[in-house]
Amino acid sequence: MAAGYAWFLVLGSVFLCNLMKTFLSTLSSLLSKMIQKDAEQEMEMRTEIQGMKMEQSSISMMDEFAKYARLERKINKTTDKLKTHVKSRTAQQAKVKWVVNIIFYIAQAALMVSLIWKYYSDPVTVVPSRWIAPVERLVAFPTGVPGGVGITCWLVVCNKVVTLGFNVFNQRSQP
Amino acid sequence: MDTGGDTSEEATGSSTMSAAQRRAEMRRRKLLLNSEDRLNRIVGFAKNGSDNNGTKAQPNRCRAQRVDIIMSRRASRRPAEPRFHLDLDRTEPWSPSSSSQRPSPFLPESSALSSLSHTATPERRGSPLPDCSEPPPAVEDDVGALRQRLKGERAPSDNISGSPRRGLQNYLSRFDDAMKLRGQLASEKPTQDGGVETEEFDPFRVFRLVGSILLAVFVRMFVCKYLSIFAPFLTLELAYMGLSKYFPKVEKKTKTTVLTAALLLSGIPAEVINRSMDTYRRMGDVFSDLCLYFFTFVLCHELLLLCGSETP
Repeated sequence: MAAGYAWFLVLGSVFLCNLMKTFLSTLSSLLSKMIQKDAEQEMEMRTEIQGMKMEQSSISMMDEFAKYARLERKINKTTDKLKTHVKSRTAQQAKVKWVVNIIFYIAQAALMVSLIWKYYSDPVTVVPSRWIAPVERLVAFPTGVPGGVGITCWLVVCNKVVTLGFNVFNQRSQP
Repeated sequence: MDTGGDTSEEATGSSTMSAAQRRAEMRRRKLLLNSEDRLNRIVGFAKNGSDNNGTKAQPNRCRAQRVDIIMSRRASRRPAEPRFHLDLDRTEPWSPSSSSQRPSPFLPESSALSSLSHTATPERRGSPLPDCSEPPPAVEDDVGALRQRLKGERAPSDNISGSPRRGLQNYLSRFDDAMKLRGQLASEKPTQDGGVETEEFDPFRVFRLVGSILLAVFVRMFVCKYLSIFAPFLTLELAYMGLSKYFPKVEKKTKTTVLTAALLLSGIPAEVINRSMDTYRRMGDVFSDLCLYFFTFVLCHELLLLCGSETP
């Protein structure tokens, strides 16, 4: 028959999965920062461009056109280099995010399948069958135990409740 | 005799000259008269009458140009409507040598075609033309007559040109809709990608959820021994349907998703989609209530069993 805390185990697993989903984006950005090695180079380029722009603003275009133009060319060259760098960094970030998402969803699917496999024939909890009439068969699916709550029904219910809870929490935490 | 010969030669010369001059003059006049005809022929619009009727064609052309001016002035008074600058009134397939009864759009004022706005229709273009001496408002009768004539001319060939024209208009309007939906989807995608999509909790929603939790606890404590747990839930939902009007209605922004965009483009009216989405949302609310109710009931049951096992 049903293990005493099966319902709690399923609830805990669903809660954990939803929690991980919330932190997925943070995790992927952290991972991409760890993988990326030349973040300082980008910072240096930005500082360089800023310095050159300040220098250019102090030069009069009429009086020192050649210097101005040379500086303009340098700025453009460095800006192009920075753009290429940012593009590649963004692409790498997107790739990391994609990989992390794929891994997460595979892990989640594996967890759900394993839970269903484990509690295929055992209900997570049992109540008197007249309490959940007339849908006792649907609730007990796939166990077939009268009055039992099947893993599929419990998974759906837990998922919905946990999602609601996280939505309430997110809404309250947002300004 | 020589003088006679000379005079005769002079006479022939002068007559030859005058004949040549005359011919040149005729050629020049012919060229001047037919220049506009030639231009229209080059660009594929009808010449109004033959060369001999050049003088008759001139007022017709003037009239057509005045039609353009009048319609542009009228259109400027109306609110802007999206129009497509297409020769939809053509009754024949386009070819450079084909003639049509429509006045040529390639008139001096048609330089406005270079603007990319789709509201730059022939009716909106217009500046008084130097060729036309009559003031435009005086030709409104001609406009009506022209329109009637065009309608009359169009009527027999409506079966041929009506459906392609309608089809083209349908295609263009759907293309417009597709572009707008694409823009809306693109603007909504960053907000969805930004993080977890959170549902909005209006006061009534919160009231429903709290009510479901309280009812589940109450039912577990007192009611479940006597009847099914779903009966009180159904009663609660019926009560919510009645109570919903006492709560402030929050306008929910309809999000443009790929599904709604696809349904819109497939021809389903927006109102039907909105109603369906509204019904779907209500069913979702009821399902949320049911899940929370059942979860609270089972949780209470398990807690009571736990407390029951702990008590000696």
